[in-house]
Amino acid sequence: MKKLSIAERLGKVTYLNQGKTEAKPHIIVDTDICNTECGHKATTRVCPANCYTLDDVGKVHFQFEDCIECGTCMYACDMNAVTWNYPDPETGRGVKWNFG
Amino acid sequence: MEDKFDCIIIGGGIAGLSAAMTLARNNAKFLLIERGEFSGAKNVSGGVLWGEGLSKLVPEYWNDEDAGFERYINHRRLTFMDGDSTFSIDFKSESFNEQPYKGIIVLRSKFDNWLSEKVMEAIEESDYADESFLAPNILVEEVLMDGGKAVGIRAGEEKFYADSIIIAEGVNNLLTRQVGLQNKYVPADALAVGVKEIIRYDQKVLEDRFQLNGLSGMSNEFIGTATQGVEGGGFLYTNKDTISFGLVLSMISLRDSGLKPYDILNEFKAHPVLKDTLKGGEVIEYSAHAVSTGDMKVMPKEIYSDGVLVAGEAANLLMNSGKAIQGMDYAMHSGILAAETIVEAKTKKDFSAGTLKNYRTKLEDSFVLKDMKNFQGAVDFLHSKQMFQTVPGLVCDFGKQFFSIKNEPTPKTREMLSKSVKKHSSYWELLKLGLKGARSL
Repeated sequence: MKKLSIAERLGKVTYLNQGKTEAKPHIIVDTDICNTECGHKATTRVCPANCYTLDDVGKVHFQFEDCIECGTCMYACDMNAVTWNYPDPETGRGVKWNFG
Repeated sequence: MEDKFDCIIIGGGIAGLSAAMTLARNNAKFLLIERGEFSGAKNVSGGVLWGEGLSKLVPEYWNDEDAGFERYINHRRLTFMDGDSTFSIDFKSESFNEQPYKGIIVLRSKFDNWLSEKVMEAIEESDYADESFLAPNILVEEVLMDGGKAVGIRAGEEKFYADSIIIAEGVNNLLTRQVGLQNKYVPADALAVGVKEIIRYDQKVLEDRFQLNGLSGMSNEFIGTATQGVEGGGFLYTNKDTISFGLVLSMISLRDSGLKPYDILNEFKAHPVLKDTLKGGEVIEYSAHAVSTGDMKVMPKEIYSDGVLVAGEAANLLMNSGKAIQGMDYAMHSGILAAETIVEAKTKKDFSAGTLKNYRTKLEDSFVLKDMKNFQGAVDFLHSKQMFQTVPGLVCDFGKQFFSIKNEPTPKTREMLSKSVKKHSSYWELLKLGLKGARSL
C-alpha cells in the first residue's frame, strides 16, 4: 500500500458542518504561550491531525478545522495554553465516524 | 420532559447505554444525552469487546440479524517485530467458536448504534415507555450543582433535572473535572494516543488471507519496531470486509521521540512483512483518540459523589495487561453497576454519597477493579523499554538463526539463544525482566 500523507488521511474523515463558512472553534489555543514560554512545543508533534504546525521561524500555529476530537493536545500541553471543549453539534466542526 | 428524571446519563457510548439498558429494565425514568448524531458517531476504539458480558446485557445477541458486531474472535496472535522480521505466537481454537463468544470485534459507529436500538426496545417495554428518552445531537455543557449535590444538566439554554447523574462521557472527561472528581489538568504521563485506519478489501480476499470462516475473526497485537522506538504497540483486527489497523503510542514517549503518529503508522504499514499482509487494501477512514494506559494513577480521585457517578473511560477504566487491551468490557460492566446503584438509591429514596458509595464497592468486588489492581505490575512491565524494544529484537534475532538452514555445522539452539541474548541484552537483565514478568502476570 502506498504511503498516505496526512492531508490524504484527513481526506477520509467525515467532518460536520463542512458547508458552513464560519464554524465555532471548540479549541482555543493561546499561541503566545507556545511561542514565548513553552520549550517543548509538544502539540506540534503529537497531534494526529496536524492541527498544530511550526512555521519557518519556529512559531506555533493552530487551526481547529481538521481536529478529529481525540483530546491528545489537552494532555500534551502542560503550559495551560490549550482550552479544550467538545464541538457544538449545531455550530461547531468536529467529526462523524462512519466506522469508528 | 418537564418532570424530574430518576437519572440523567451523559454519553451514549457503551458505558452509558449499558447503564440505560439496566435502568429501563428496572423501570427507572431516565434521559440519556449523546453529543453525536447517533450513538457511536463520536466513538473510536481498537476494538475488541472482550468477555461474555454482552451476552448478559443482550441475551443471544448473536441471533440478531445484524447484530452490530463485525466478527467473533477464535484466532489470536502476538507478533514481535524487528526491522525486517516478525516472530508470532499464534493461537486458534475451535472451542472459541462456541457461544457466548470470548470476544467480538466491533466498529463503534455501528455497534453503539445497534446497542442504542436495543435500549430503545427495553424502554418501550418499561413503565416509562413515553417518559424515558435517548436524546442524540445534544452537548451537555455543565452538570448543575446545588449545595454540593449534582441535580441536573445544562445543554445550551436548556436545563434538565434528575435525582442522579451518571457521567459516561469518555476519556476526555470534562464534566468529571467540572464536578471536582478529577483534577482540571490531567498530565499526559498515563495517557496514550491511538491512531487507526480502516482498510477495505474484497471480502473473499480478506477471508482467504486471514483464514476466516463465516463470522470468525482474528486479533493480532504487535510489539517492537511497529512503533519506531516509541513506547506502545500495534494492532490488527479483522472486520467483515475491512481491517482495523493502528497503533497505540505513549504520549510522553511520542513527544520525546520527535516523530509524528501518522508517520510511524506509515512506517508500520511499510514494514516488509506487514506490507504483504496489507497488500491491495484501500484506506477508507482515518481516526485517532486519546486512551488511558491502564495506570490507575490517572483515575479520578473518586468515582461517586452526592448525586453523581462516573462510569467507563470517564473513570479511566481501561487496561492493557499484555493478554488483551480491555476497556469496552469495563465500560459495560461499570455502566451496569452504576445503574444498579441508582436503582437501589431510588428504592431507598437516598441519592447521597453515602448510598452511591455502593457503586465503588460493587466495582471493587467485580473483575474490573480487581483485575486493574492485580495487574498494575503488568501494565508497568509492558511499558518498560525492554519489553517494547529489547525483547522483540532478541526474539526476531533468535528466529533468524533458528529458522535458517545454512548447510554448515549448526550450533545448538542454546548457543543461538545465547548469541541473541548477548546482542540485545544480558542474561542478568533478562533474568530480572523474567522475574518481573512472572510476578506481574
